Amino acid sequence: MDRVLGFILNIGLLKDYGFRLVLGLQMTLTVVGLSCAMGFVLAFPICWLRMSRNMLLSYSAMGYTNLFRGTPLLCQLYLIYYGGGEFRPFFQETGIWWFFRDAYYCCILGFTLNTAAYQSEILRGAIQSIPKGQIEAARALGLHRGAILRHIIFPQAMLVAVRPLGNEVISVVKASAVAAVVTLLDLMGQTRFIFARTFDFSIYLYCALIYLAITETISRLVNAGEHRLSAHIRARAPADARQESRSTTVHRSTEVTPA
Amino acid sequence: MSWYTLLFGPNGWIGLLLNGAAVTVALALTTVPFGFGAGLLIAVMKLSKYRLLRGACAAYTTFFRGIPDLLALFIVYFGLQALIDKIGTWLGMDGHLEVSAFTAGVIALSVVVAAYSAEVWVASIAAVPPGQSEAALSLGLTPRQVFRKVVLPQLGRVALPGLGNIWMVLQKDTALISTLAVTDLLRAASEASRATTRPLVFYTAAALLYLAFSTVSVWGQSWLERRANRGYS
Amino acid sequence: MTTEFLRRATLGLGLAATLMAAPALAKDWKTVRIGMDATYPPFESVSPKGDIVGFEVDYAKELCSRMKVTCTFQNQDWDGIIPSLIANKFDVIISSMNITPKRKELVAFTDYYYSTAPVFVGLASNKSDDVSPAALKGKTIGTQSSTTFANYLEKLYKGSEVKLYPGGDEPQNDLKAGRLDYTVTDIIVGSTFVDKVGDGCCRIVAKIDRAANSDVFGPGVGAAVRKEDTDLLAMFNKAIAELDADGTFKKVAGKYFTVDIRGK
Repeated sequence: MDRVLGFILNIGLLKDYGFRLVLGLQMTLTVVGLSCAMGFVLAFPICWLRMSRNMLLSYSAMGYTNLFRGTPLLCQLYLIYYGGGEFRPFFQETGIWWFFRDAYYCCILGFTLNTAAYQSEILRGAIQSIPKGQIEAARALGLHRGAILRHIIFPQAMLVAVRPLGNEVISVVKASAVAAVVTLLDLMGQTRFIFARTFDFSIYLYCALIYLAITETISRLVNAGEHRLSAHIRARAPADARQESRSTTVHRSTEVTPA
Repeated sequence: MSWYTLLFGPNGWIGLLLNGAAVTVALALTTVPFGFGAGLLIAVMKLSKYRLLRGACAAYTTFFRGIPDLLALFIVYFGLQALIDKIGTWLGMDGHLEVSAFTAGVIALSVVVAAYSAEVWVASIAAVPPGQSEAALSLGLTPRQVFRKVVLPQLGRVALPGLGNIWMVLQKDTALISTLAVTDLLRAASEASRATTRPLVFYTAAALLYLAFSTVSVWGQSWLERRANRGYS
Repeated sequence: MTTEFLRRATLGLGLAATLMAAPALAKDWKTVRIGMDATYPPFESVSPKGDIVGFEVDYAKELCSRMKVTCTFQNQDWDGIIPSLIANKFDVIISSMNITPKRKELVAFTDYYYSTAPVFVGLASNKSDDVSPAALKGKTIGTQSSTTFANYLEKLYKGSEVKLYPGGDEPQNDLKAGRLDYTVTDIIVGSTFVDKVGDGCCRIVAKIDRAANSDVFGPGVGAAVRKEDTDLLAMFNKAIAELDADGTFKKVAGKYFTVDIRGK
C-alpha cells in the first residue's frame, strides 16, 4: 500500500532510472521547443488571414483556429498518428511516409498545428489592443502600411503578447505529456516506462516535480523578460507596475470565437 | 467498408460513440459544481489571515497548475483511492468506500479544475471595489456577512469569462480520462478504430462531436454573459 | 438508440451525485469486481454495443457462478491495472496476465488457467522467418508496454528499436499501418488479428519458445488478487480446478478457439 501511495520519495529509484528521466526531459524540451518555435512562425500568416477583409480567407483561418482549439489535443494527435497511417499508400507515393511513420514527427506536427492556432489568436488579440487612433495618426503622417506594421503595431503588440505567449509555452509543455500515448518516450513516456518496470508510484511524483520546475522556470523568465521590455512604460507610469499580475502559470484561454 | 457502414451499419459503432459522448458531457457537467466550488473555497482560504492556510493553498494551486493535467489526473486517480482506504483503516472501518471509475474521474478533474478556478475567483474577489466592503463593515456587518451578502453575489458575473475558459479546458481534459479507464468519447473512438483498423473515420467523428460541444458552449457562455451583465453595460 | 443515449446521460449524472458516498463492504465476497484491459481480442475486447466480450469474460462468468458470487466487469488501462487492483478499484485481474516473479511481489496469483505461445507477427511482404536478435537488428518491433512481451524484447533485442503501446491491439494496428516491422504478442491474439482484421497485411512469422524463456513468461496466465485477499484466492483456485474437471473450460474455450490453450 505504501508503495502505491508513494508519498515518501524513493531515492534509490533515481539512481537506477535517473538517466531515463534525463532522456525524457531532453525529448520533452526538444519537442516543445521545436513545436513552439514553428507554431510561432505559423501563427503570423494565420493571424494575418484571420484579420483579412476577404471573408473567405478570414473564415477559413477562423475554422482552423476553432478546430484546433475546440477539440482535445489527444484527439488531434490520434488523428494525425493513427489516421495518418491510413494514408500510407499516398504518403509513400509522395515520398513523405518517413515523416508520418515516426511518432516523433507526428507529435511535433500535431503540437505545432495546435499551438499555432492558440498563438495566432494571442497575436490577434495583441494587435487589436493597439488603439486605432495610433494607426490613423500614422497614416495621416504619410507612413505606408509596412512602416506602420513594423514601427507602430509590431513593437507594441509583441510587448502585449509576451505574457500570453509565455503562458502558451507553459501550456504546450504541460500538454505535451500526451505524446506518451503514441509511444514517444518523452518525460511522461519515460515515467510510465519506469513505473511499468518498478511499480513504484513515487516516480510519478518525481516526474511532477520536474514538470513543475520547467513551468516555474519559464514563468519566471517570462516575468523577467516582460519586466525588462516594458521598462519604458513603467518609467512613465509607475502606478501600473504594482498592478502587474502575480499569477504564474496560467492555463490556456481557449474560448472559440463564435461564427 | 465505407465510413457509413462502420458508423451506422448493423454492427456500426455510432451507439458506442454517442454513449461515450454522453459520458464526456456528464463528466464535464458533474465536475463543474465540485471543481468550481472547491476553487472558490480555496480562493477564500487564499485570502485568509492565517499564513499556513494561505501557503497550503498557494502550494496546491502552484502544483496542480504547474504539472501536466494528464499527470495530475493520474496521481489523483491512483493516489486517491489508496488515501481513502488508508483513512478508512485508521478510523477502524472495515471494508472500503466504493468509488466508481466515473466518480474517480470526476474527483480527479475537480482537483485540477479547482486549482485553475481558484485563480479566477481570487481575481474576481479583488475586482469587487473595496469601498463596498468598507461601507458594509462600517454599517456593522461582520466580515463573514460582508463576504456572503456583498461580495459573493457579484462574483458570478465577474468570474464568468474566466470560468468559461476553464469550462472549455475541462471539456477537453475529459479526453485525458480516456487513458485511464472511463469509456468517454475519445476512448470509444479509440476502441472502434482499433477493432476495425479504421482510425480516420472514428477520430474524425469524435473531433466533430467535440467541436459541436465547444460551439454549443460558446453560445451558452455568451448567452450567460449577456444575461449576467443585464443592467451593467 | 436515442433513448438509450438519454438514459445513459441522465444515469451518469444521477449516479455521479449519489455514488459520491456509497459505502460497500467487499469482504464477504457477495460481489467480485473484475478488472480487465479490453484491448486483447479474442480474450477481451469492447463490442460495438460497448460491452466487454471475449473468452475471459465468458470464463470469468463461469468461475463466478461456481463461486456463487455476482461479478461486475470493469475496463482498465493495462499500465494502471496492477495499481488499480492494489488501490481497490476492483478485486481481481482476469486479463491474460502472465504469472511473473516481479508481479508476484505486488499481487497474488491463482494457478494458471491458460498458457499459449508468444509470437512474432510480421508484414506479409516480409518472407524471412528468422527472428533472431541478430536478424532483427535495427528493425522496429512494437508491443504492449508493461507486458512479458516487452520484458522479453528488452532483455534479448537490445539492437532493435522497441516501441511500447498502451493497448494490446495497437501494435498490430501500427504494424498494418506500416510503422513497425514486427510485433510480439500472444499467438491467439496475433492469429485473430491476421485472420479477422489484417486484410492480408500480416502473418505470424515465428513462435517464441515459451518453456525456454520461462524466466520471462512464467508458467501461464493467472488471475491476480490483492495479497491480503487469501480467501478470494482460494475460492478462485477451487473454481478453476472445478471448471477443468467437469469440462466447462473445454466447452467455453471451444466457442473461441480451435486449438488447446489450457497448456497442461
